Amino acid sequence: MQNGHLLELRQVTKRFGGVTAVNRCSLELAPGRIYGLIGPNGSGKTTLFNCITGLEPHDDGEIRYKGERIDGLRAHEVARRGIGRTFQIIRVFPELTALENLLVVTWGPFDEAHRRAQELLRFVTLDRLQNEYAGNLSYGQQKLLEFARILMTDPELILLDEPAAGVNRTLLNELLEAIRNLRAQGKTVFIVEHDMKVIMDLSERIFVLNYGEKIAEGPPGLIQSDERVIEAYFGR
Amino acid sequence: MTFVSLSRTKKTLLAGLVIGLILLAIYPMAATGYGIRFMLQLFMWVALAQSWNLISGLTGYVSFGHVAFFGTGAYAAAILIATHGWHWAPASSMGGIAAVVLALIIGYPCLRLKGPYFAIAMLGLNEVMRVLVSYFEGLTGGGLGLSLPTLYASVQIYYAAGLAAIAASVAAHLIITSRFGLRLMTIREDEVAAEAMGVNTARYKLYAFLISAFIPGVVGGLHARDQGYIEPISVFPLLTTITMIVMALFGGKGTVWGPVLGAVGLFCFQELVWARFLYLHQILFGAIIVFVVLLMPRGILGLVQQRYHLSRSL
Repeated sequence: MQNGHLLELRQVTKRFGGVTAVNRCSLELAPGRIYGLIGPNGSGKTTLFNCITGLEPHDDGEIRYKGERIDGLRAHEVARRGIGRTFQIIRVFPELTALENLLVVTWGPFDEAHRRAQELLRFVTLDRLQNEYAGNLSYGQQKLLEFARILMTDPELILLDEPAAGVNRTLLNELLEAIRNLRAQGKTVFIVEHDMKVIMDLSERIFVLNYGEKIAEGPPGLIQSDERVIEAYFGR
Repeated sequence: MTFVSLSRTKKTLLAGLVIGLILLAIYPMAATGYGIRFMLQLFMWVALAQSWNLISGLTGYVSFGHVAFFGTGAYAAAILIATHGWHWAPASSMGGIAAVVLALIIGYPCLRLKGPYFAIAMLGLNEVMRVLVSYFEGLTGGGLGLSLPTLYASVQIYYAAGLAAIAASVAAHLIITSRFGLRLMTIREDEVAAEAMGVNTARYKLYAFLISAFIPGVVGGLHARDQGYIEPISVFPLLTTITMIVMALFGGKGTVWGPVLGAVGLFCFQELVWARFLYLHQILFGAIIVFVVLLMPRGILGLVQQRYHLSRSL
């Protein structure tokens, strides 16, 4: 790990034809903390997540994880190095049962994986639905299942793309508590979220993107009063 | 369904399976020549439908050129038998290996394609193989075909085809009930999510493709020996691929017993209808395709399993 950073992005740029989705974006994440990533729609948040996780190859810049470059690696290689993620639109495996959704992402001994999967399903209160096809679960339950699936891979860095979207208040509180628990376990969490209350309560440091560029970075209190951030969200 | 009754059901099914296998083993002693040939072909269809199910039913990569492996196996075995004097059993195994080699060469570039592009590429592969076989006359006999030495071995080939069908079904059972099988299904469900969860989808697809190519290669070899004569149009027909697809879809893709059920049901149906209505059977077959695609996309077993929450291995 270089400079104590878990993840470092240097001048990362991603273009789609004539559109620059991410423009010379640099940031660092230290281990064991919760970070937020905000910005108006189309500001490049999900694209940045895709670049980090290898789903979209970036055009310029470099991405280092624990000091080693991970750009150029395929998504599964990035995941196996300890970077897990959820998606903006839920991507559970609908024709696999809830239990199978978890078992399929592990590589260790089966019995151990089975025990861990059941433990996680209990944790997200889906244990009674373990043999139900994921596609038959409600939206909130699928969201929880996707979250449990990420925990099943035991990543060190967890990227959550809008975890609060479409989740009711009770479920959301449980989810937020679970995210705080991850931090307590030494995991690093990087969250994209449109719910400002959620992101401000949860994050220790926030990055703000606008038109693909990082326009601000700092603790939540500072970000809330930053002129550039206010302008990006509300205009002049 | 309680645990006890489920366990009892499984035991009953297992007992039925064992009795069925014993009956099939002694069947040639009492059967007519037609009966043996009927069952032999049925076994081949079971193996072919299972092989298609392994790549397309599990990963969702619909192969419209699976018969290319059948034809390649048929020609590889036929050349070894006719030109090099090999026994048909090892020659058929080599047919399987030839199909795997072809799958390895073609799989790497083609499995990068998705959806209809993969399907079209596989369709193209079949045409390329057919043309290549026609072109290399010295080796394959070209359009005139390749004759094999006369041999009366229907009963032996019956057992070999039966073994191929059992092996394909056992392989399907082992794969579908393993984490390897689940990972293949994640490719079908959401390949991007599977990659992001650490599944090396390219490698898994290739493994499934190689396994699924071996079976039709062996069956092609057995078919060549059984027929005694092959030509490009007889071992590379698109209709063979379509038939195995319909069988797997009708029974239930992605399940262990679906392709078996589909092959048995449709082959028996085809034989009955073909014998009575020579011109009608193709229309009826087409109607079944439309019916399955529109009303039963999961197939018979898929529907039953979803409704009663039964395991894919049942």
